[in-house]
Amino acid sequence: MTVQKFRSIEAMNAAPAVPSVAAGFERFVRHCARYWRLAPRTYPRGVIKFRTLEEAQAARRRQARDEASTGRTK
Amino acid sequence: MDRDELLRVLRAFETAKLEYVLIGATAMGLHGVVRATEDVDLFIRATTENIDKLRVAFRAAYADDPNVDEITADDLLGDYPALRYYPPSGDLYFDVITRLGDAVTFDTVEAMVTEIEGIRVRVATPAALYRLKRDTVRPLDRQDAAVLRERFGLKDED
Repeated sequence: MTVQKFRSIEAMNAAPAVPSVAAGFERFVRHCARYWRLAPRTYPRGVIKFRTLEEAQAARRRQARDEASTGRTK
Repeated sequence: MDRDELLRVLRAFETAKLEYVLIGATAMGLHGVVRATEDVDLFIRATTENIDKLRVAFRAAYADDPNVDEITADDLLGDYPALRYYPPSGDLYFDVITRLGDAVTFDTVEAMVTEIEGIRVRVATPAALYRLKRDTVRPLDRQDAAVLRERFGLKDED
């Protein structure tokens, strides 16, 4: 769908923008790359196993906190 | 997140015939809901054969990284249904999940197949992402759920 037509400004503003999958992907990776340049990280390497998703999320929070406190950059 | 690296991994998934579905911010990005993330979240079908395929795909994408051998069916089908794989280089990592609680698995996540640069990618639908995120405690997930709900006109019964 390349052209959407609306009977009013209100209808246009209410309509969600529907990007193509390819466009969404390109915007997504560009956005992540910008984020990385602004806030580079140093990751551990390898495989870490978790019993629950909560454990995994806690590990991610810990890592982010450590990064922030040490001010490490890539 | 490096574009070419991500494409290389998605291509390796396809080549290995891995049964997976993308969830999380990467899946949202494919639906045009863009926020930054460092990780690629995916559910995989919880079978020994499929976990073998996951190892094959990661080895192909990351030049035979020996750490991939630590990804085992014993763990993912047993006490460790989630793992995080940090590749030897690059600026992204993978959260691989075989089940979430007792109810959510690869088979219960509604998904669609889309194509990026000729690569077939299986991604959770917006409604499925909404369902995964709306009842969680993490503030970021709740924000994601609110955005998905508004963008795709979803309702609680979705």
